[in-house]
Amino acid sequence: MSRRILLLTLLLYLIPTFFATSQNTTQHKIILSGIIRDTHTKEALPFASLQLKGDHNYATMADVDGHFKMTGIEPGRYSISVSYVGYKKYQKKFDLQKNTYLIFNLNAANQLREVVVTATEARGPVTASVIDRDAMSHLQPSSFTDILELLPGGVSKDPNMGVANTIKLRETGTTDANGNSSNNQDYAISSLGTLFVVDGAPINTDANLQYSPMSNTYSSGSSNDTESKRNITNRGVDMRSVSTDDIESVEIIRGIPSVEYGNLTSGVINIKKIRKSTPFTARFKADGYSKLIAVGKGFALNGKQDVVLNVDGGYLNSKVDPTNNLENYQRANASLRLTWNWKRDNLATRWASSLDYTGSFDNSKQDPDLNFGRIDEYKSTYNRTAFTNSLKFEFPRIEFLKLIELNTSVSLQHDKLKQRRLVSPQRYGLAPTSAEPGEHDAAILFAEYMSDYLSEGKPFNTYLKFKGILHFDPAGFENDIKLGGQWDYTKNFGRGQVYDLSHPMSAVGNWDSRPRAYKDIPAMQNLSFFAEDMVTKRFSGNKLELLLGVRTNTLTGLDKKYYLKGRIYLDPRVNAQWTFPGIEIANKDLKISLAGGIGWMTKMPTLNYLYPDKRYNEITQLAYYDDKDPIHNSRFTVMSYIQDQTNYELKPARNKKWELRTDFTYGGNRLSVSYFREVTSSGFRYSNTYAPYAYKDYDESSINSSELQGPPALENIPYVEKEKLDSHRHAENGSRLEKEGVEFQFSSQRINPIRTAINISGAWFKSVYTNSLPMYNAVSDVVNNIIVQDNYVGLYDWNDGQVNQKFNTNFMLDTQVPEWGLIFTTSVQCLWYTKRKTQEKDGMPMAYLDVADGQLHPFDETAQQDAILQHLIQHYNKDTFAERKIPMSMYVNFKATKKIGKYLSLSFFANKILDYTPNYEMNGFTIRKNVDPYFGMELNFKL
Amino acid sequence: MKFKYLFLIPVLMFVLASCQDETDVQRTETFVTITYPKNMDNLNIKSEKLVFKNLGTGEDIEMPIAQSYRLPKGLYNCSYKADVTYQVTTEGSESNPENGQAGDHNTEGPETVTLNGKLSGKLESFEVKSDDLLKLNIETFLFTDKDDFIFEEIFFTGTLRPSGSQYYGDSYFKIYNNTDHVLYADGLAICESKFKSTLYFNYKPDIRKDTFTIWALYVIPGSGKDHPVQPGESLLICDTGIDHRNANPNSLDFSKADFEWYDVSTKPAHMDIDSPTVPNLDKWYCYTLSFWVLHNRGFCSYALARIPIDKETYLKDYYYTYEYTMFLPSGTFPMQQSAYKMPNAWIVDGVNCSVEAARDWDILPPTVDAGWTHCGTIDHDKTRYFKSVRRKVAGFENGRCILQDTNNSTDDFNTECVPSEIEIQGSSKDAQGTKATTLTWDGVLPKK
Repeated sequence: MSRRILLLTLLLYLIPTFFATSQNTTQHKIILSGIIRDTHTKEALPFASLQLKGDHNYATMADVDGHFKMTGIEPGRYSISVSYVGYKKYQKKFDLQKNTYLIFNLNAANQLREVVVTATEARGPVTASVIDRDAMSHLQPSSFTDILELLPGGVSKDPNMGVANTIKLRETGTTDANGNSSNNQDYAISSLGTLFVVDGAPINTDANLQYSPMSNTYSSGSSNDTESKRNITNRGVDMRSVSTDDIESVEIIRGIPSVEYGNLTSGVINIKKIRKSTPFTARFKADGYSKLIAVGKGFALNGKQDVVLNVDGGYLNSKVDPTNNLENYQRANASLRLTWNWKRDNLATRWASSLDYTGSFDNSKQDPDLNFGRIDEYKSTYNRTAFTNSLKFEFPRIEFLKLIELNTSVSLQHDKLKQRRLVSPQRYGLAPTSAEPGEHDAAILFAEYMSDYLSEGKPFNTYLKFKGILHFDPAGFENDIKLGGQWDYTKNFGRGQVYDLSHPMSAVGNWDSRPRAYKDIPAMQNLSFFAEDMVTKRFSGNKLELLLGVRTNTLTGLDKKYYLKGRIYLDPRVNAQWTFPGIEIANKDLKISLAGGIGWMTKMPTLNYLYPDKRYNEITQLAYYDDKDPIHNSRFTVMSYIQDQTNYELKPARNKKWELRTDFTYGGNRLSVSYFREVTSSGFRYSNTYAPYAYKDYDESSINSSELQGPPALENIPYVEKEKLDSHRHAENGSRLEKEGVEFQFSSQRINPIRTAINISGAWFKSVYTNSLPMYNAVSDVVNNIIVQDNYVGLYDWNDGQVNQKFNTNFMLDTQVPEWGLIFTTSVQCLWYTKRKTQEKDGMPMAYLDVADGQLHPFDETAQQDAILQHLIQHYNKDTFAERKIPMSMYVNFKATKKIGKYLSLSFFANKILDYTPNYEMNGFTIRKNVDPYFGMELNFKL
Repeated sequence: MKFKYLFLIPVLMFVLASCQDETDVQRTETFVTITYPKNMDNLNIKSEKLVFKNLGTGEDIEMPIAQSYRLPKGLYNCSYKADVTYQVTTEGSESNPENGQAGDHNTEGPETVTLNGKLSGKLESFEVKSDDLLKLNIETFLFTDKDDFIFEEIFFTGTLRPSGSQYYGDSYFKIYNNTDHVLYADGLAICESKFKSTLYFNYKPDIRKDTFTIWALYVIPGSGKDHPVQPGESLLICDTGIDHRNANPNSLDFSKADFEWYDVSTKPAHMDIDSPTVPNLDKWYCYTLSFWVLHNRGFCSYALARIPIDKETYLKDYYYTYEYTMFLPSGTFPMQQSAYKMPNAWIVDGVNCSVEAARDWDILPPTVDAGWTHCGTIDHDKTRYFKSVRRKVAGFENGRCILQDTNNSTDDFNTECVPSEIEIQGSSKDAQGTKATTLTWDGVLPKK
């Protein structure tokens, strides 16, 4: 069949040299540059390799966009070979005498080629996993969250669409007392510090302020209510909103990223969308939780200029619990992308533009049948439109300049969080009325009322990045020097928190917030410059690659009160890789490479950490309830303090990361093992300190109810000046996060008789979550009519965090029979153990704060014996801090894809269809585990 | 020397078991031994009663006292009650707080007196299987009459608003003088258990037999003679002593209550109202700085106590730490907590509350309350609102109502009654606002 026969065409554009002068610098040498693409789809083939053989030998690899450039080539006759996985190797002789720009159009080797259904370890000096379209198709994801299963240490998880899905790279994540993962706001830096880049433009979440004052934005620790679960303020990207259907490939940088990427502490998710001609595709997926539909087509416009237009869209409707109709999540996305390659004699240009829309909608209602008829509704919408452009110029005639790239992006979000709740004040509720400090009357809430809350955010972001790559090779050292700068501007233009202060969302609860317009918050600007040199040296079969870079980070336009004002943070990063010459064993080469790196990464605070809401702290001064005429004659007054939660001393969060990696290749088998250690000691969190606050305690008993003609006048009521302790909250660099671990990945050659390849991947992670400062803790006891926390607050030398460990291995058997159009994978996922150890806490306070003098006093023997102070002693069973080990569990997942006819393919997955979860003993009791399978299927049309 | 006496009416009842047909029902030989309390000299049983309750059929089978019984197989509860006399040798003239009751002061030196008492014991949910020989042991406890206030009524469920949502703030206790003489409420303590009857943990130290672990303790103020209560009279002690109908038309007017428990607060977010017309209880301790609300699903036990020591000493010395382990599907969690303890000897009356479907244990031991009472039968029972537990009327004496007090709240209380205050005020008895029109003595017995 002709289809099976490799068609290789080569379009050769010989570019005449117009200017002899341009050759002056390279009198005897020429430049060979060009692009390697697929003939039909016009898709650039990233990292395709190119070899020149002749009097001299040269080799290079195309970049991520399929471009290559070789300089310093001796003119002469060469045999050029181009190869790329899934395409047949091309070989042809050329006479190269001048600077030449070549476009290699390769044809796919076989339409029924075998595909890679796992993540692949990147080959370069930076530790990264690459996941391409085929792996994603076979995995059948609903959102980006599902793809992370393929990373070392990843395991398949049931979708959880009722919570914000935030990323955690190379860590176990924090867990609650039951061992379930928790969204601990104190360690939000994990996900906040991971950068998502889509076609060269970052998804900036710094101006996300969609929260309700009832959520956990300002509180320490984790909570599990509707608002907090979905709150992504300060938590980076919600991966539920990232659809996978328009993604060509994802590079997940787990290691030390190039300095090109900044404003991060952890890693980079580099998403490349589909930019090639494709048939019309339609995908229909259904599983126990969701239904998904996605359609797309890539149009290649005819002509010599390559213009590809991709159009796609998708919709996901997902339930949190299949039996619950009151809580759901929906996502809609649409994208229009234009890719335009054109070239002139002295300039090759690629313009990639895209217009993307993502809508993400959360709905949650309380069941009126279960909630005494109460109304409690939550609705959050997220609408993001982004216009992204990338302009890349290459100069076939200029030897030292490899390329210049300009990236711009403009994005506008329109987010609304609406809550509506029937509030039932108990006895009578007090509503704060004033936004000013000082003494005020408080409004009494006599009956139930409906409360509405709106948070409207319009984060606007523009981004500009300029990058140039220079190339030199003195003395055989190839230097690719990357220089560039980046500026981004973020501002929230929303109306912010809009509600009626006299009818707050909660009558019992600390309503310490006031309506606030987000458009009043200043904009944030980030300015960065970077310089990086990639040095490559080849000698006697060895290849040494050294990536040296430094990046500056500055927040510009800050008020001078901020410590950060004008400060420049430097991120030096080094990655190195040494590939040794192959050792021949049994006619095959064993190739070994060693790599390592160290780097510092900086994440600037978000808009919320820099400009937190003011906190209104109120103290009841007079609480006179007139029983005869409560509506007219009662009076309640409060003393209001306005706390500025801003911490002007706030610094960025910094992470130091180092790692070692080794890579073995033998035949088609490959093993990579990496060890890493990361320490962030300046993660962001909100913490409390305590101080005395003055107020008047009026004597209500002096009021004579029968004389009242209205609320009592304050002047006639005697009072006592008092003080109470209260908390003052501010953002701090108080969280410490240590990540350590070993990641490994092995992929075997396909074993032909059974057409099966074996993949083994896994990781051991140890993550330490702690606070770096002593903590105040207020107790709720009332002793002898004395409110303990108003008078005494203990200071504890506490570690509120945990030390978690996890060790897992996934064994995947990947069977492919291309002539049947069948891919069948069996994944055996073994979680050897998880361990959790709560950091030890000493319940004995170090000291206590006394309202009488506002000073800290040592918590000595006398204090321990005191009838009231003894309540400050917190009791912890020492077993609480013992390490809990959950032993092995094993799940078997099946996935199958079958092509049916020409246009249709059918996929099916069943996760946890088999399991081995033995009972285990804990403290003398047997714990049993329950496993529910998760399965679904999908239809794919290709027309 | 103090002479102690107990008024107990001995009743001798031997009722033959109703089942004789042993041919078609498999029966099991069941041996029952009764363990009597220690330190009871010359114990003389005047009457005794053993009842097996077949939980499958709901049938009560009263058995004559014998060594062994032949029971059809099934799940049973078994209770034992006896009226006894016993002898106590007293040592001095000081009143023993354990029995804290008035007595004659006549002679000095040790003297042996004969007292009347009641014994009670029970076993719950044991299975009688065929073929097996079953040996049971019932531990019994002695009750003494404390000659003090008793709970007449506890309204812990609260009311609902017309919208159907819960309203807190109108729960109350009624305490009753069931004696024939004036009692002074001064210094009487009301406490709520920290433990819940639906969650049992193996608390260490296990001090339950001797002490009651509490998390709220409020005491009626007074110097000793400020709050006299006549025989047959009661005191209304409510959460907030205001007319709640302004906030919730379905609620009650407590502006004329005898006492309220007021929780001082400096936070507007959880502000209790200090009624100008109702005096406050003295708040000794509460676990929360917002308001104390009685457990409205009814999982807590309540007790009245006379604390013989001063407040400062109590607050300093009766705070203890205990440990337990929580067992959850995901693992076991060792816990350590602190709470105040109330010696059972100081308790003058106690009531266990729970719900049938979720009940695990009785928080107060049989020496205080040998039974338990309830409003609602399942957790979050929606029918429980507007209902209280009310002590049964035992009889009338010179027009004075005598309430039944056998220290067994299963027997002594009518459950799920229309609360007396709703009856008296004719207020709503459901969320729809249906008004109460009848008046009863104890929720069941109508007042003419």
